[in-house]
Amino acid sequence: MTLGRTGHEPMGSAEPAGTPDEALLRRVGAGDERAFRELFARYASVAHALAFRLVRQAQVAEEIVQEAFLAVWRTPERYDPARGSVRSWLMGTVHHRAVDAVRREQAQRRRADQAAALAPRVVEDPIDDIVSALDLPRERRLVQKALAGLPDEQRDVIQRMYFDGMSQSQIAERTGLPLGTVKSRTLLAMRRLRTHLGEVTP
Amino acid sequence: MTRDHALIDELLAIRALGGLDGDDADRLEHELAAHGDCDECRRLEAEHAEVAGMLALALDPLPVDEGMADRIVAQEQPKKGREPDRAAARPADELSGRRDPRLGRWQAAFGIAAAVALILAFVLATRPQDGVQVPGTVVAFQGASGQGAPGELAMAYTPGERGALVWGAGLPDPGSGKVYELWMIEEGNPVRGACLAPTDGAVATYLDADLSTAELMAVTVESTECPSAPTTDPVFTAELA
Repeated sequence: MTLGRTGHEPMGSAEPAGTPDEALLRRVGAGDERAFRELFARYASVAHALAFRLVRQAQVAEEIVQEAFLAVWRTPERYDPARGSVRSWLMGTVHHRAVDAVRREQAQRRRADQAAALAPRVVEDPIDDIVSALDLPRERRLVQKALAGLPDEQRDVIQRMYFDGMSQSQIAERTGLPLGTVKSRTLLAMRRLRTHLGEVTP
Repeated sequence: MTRDHALIDELLAIRALGGLDGDDADRLEHELAAHGDCDECRRLEAEHAEVAGMLALALDPLPVDEGMADRIVAQEQPKKGREPDRAAARPADELSGRRDPRLGRWQAAFGIAAAVALILAFVLATRPQDGVQVPGTVVAFQGASGQGAPGELAMAYTPGERGALVWGAGLPDPGSGKVYELWMIEEGNPVRGACLAPTDGAVATYLDADLSTAELMAVTVESTECPSAPTTDPVFTAELA
């Protein structure tokens, strides 16, 4: 599985695009700077988008990305292949740190909520997105289509939980839905996404 | 508690999205512990993590500061050629192995203090140019059963910083082929810290790990293989500041 080069590619990163992430990470463990730069080139801009989406502050988002990649550089052995791909580990680390930052600071939380109310949803209109996705790398297109294909109520839960950093209890409180409904919608959404994204998961 | 995976499936899905909270976080940990070394649990966890990891791709990429990669590789170097978990426990084993087995508890405690001092001296002497913070907060682990801890275990660290000193005394023998394994609990997820093999009930080690996002530390009894996920309930826990 390869990803399109979606962000800044530092000088000196001349890895073949097809080198698997796991192989790169093993080389990072041996101190291979070029392998690290390749992983950074593959995922830093996606990680940055995710962190910024959650924390809404450029400096905090950059710090989160830097901390996450610093952990990759210093302790790549913390990656456990049994728990998923390198990409899911990296994005999970970034997401976790960003959500943590959001929840630690209530004032920041309020700003994020206000911004989330104003900012366009990731998938506002599935038709528009599919049209605008023509120039996107294949994985992005598939993820956006998979999100667009969810029933509205399931997409809303995913949106709030993953992209806005809300907990299940916060969603239940905010929407007035029973907690059990939030949980079941989350699972249904994840199952449906898994079915649609199965062809690109490693 | 059953071997039914419906509940675990649901809670793992929510955890992968970062939404698990309240009693459900504890419930999931208990369920996973009850299932022990469970292939189906691992499969579900990996699948949900994979889907969650892909969702970030839906966002428009946001380029990062061009110098970030340079700063990372310039400031920090990975520790090469060793497995950190085992290595982290090694100083304790080596140091405690030199003690006279007839030492009493106070003598053992003195030995541990000396070991900690040695480790601290080592850390200070070998710290990188940009500095390692001397641990400034001490927390005592509590027996997870609430019935009083068997022996004493403590950790010194600096909140938000990397690394910690861990030491203990009067710990019961974990059993033949068993060790204590230390976990950092991050958003309800156990992250492997280090394996601790007590000698005469005493341990002392430097934990070279990122504690900045850990909310809780936990200790379980595991096989000497030091599994990547806990297979038993915690015997000690400590809340971090």
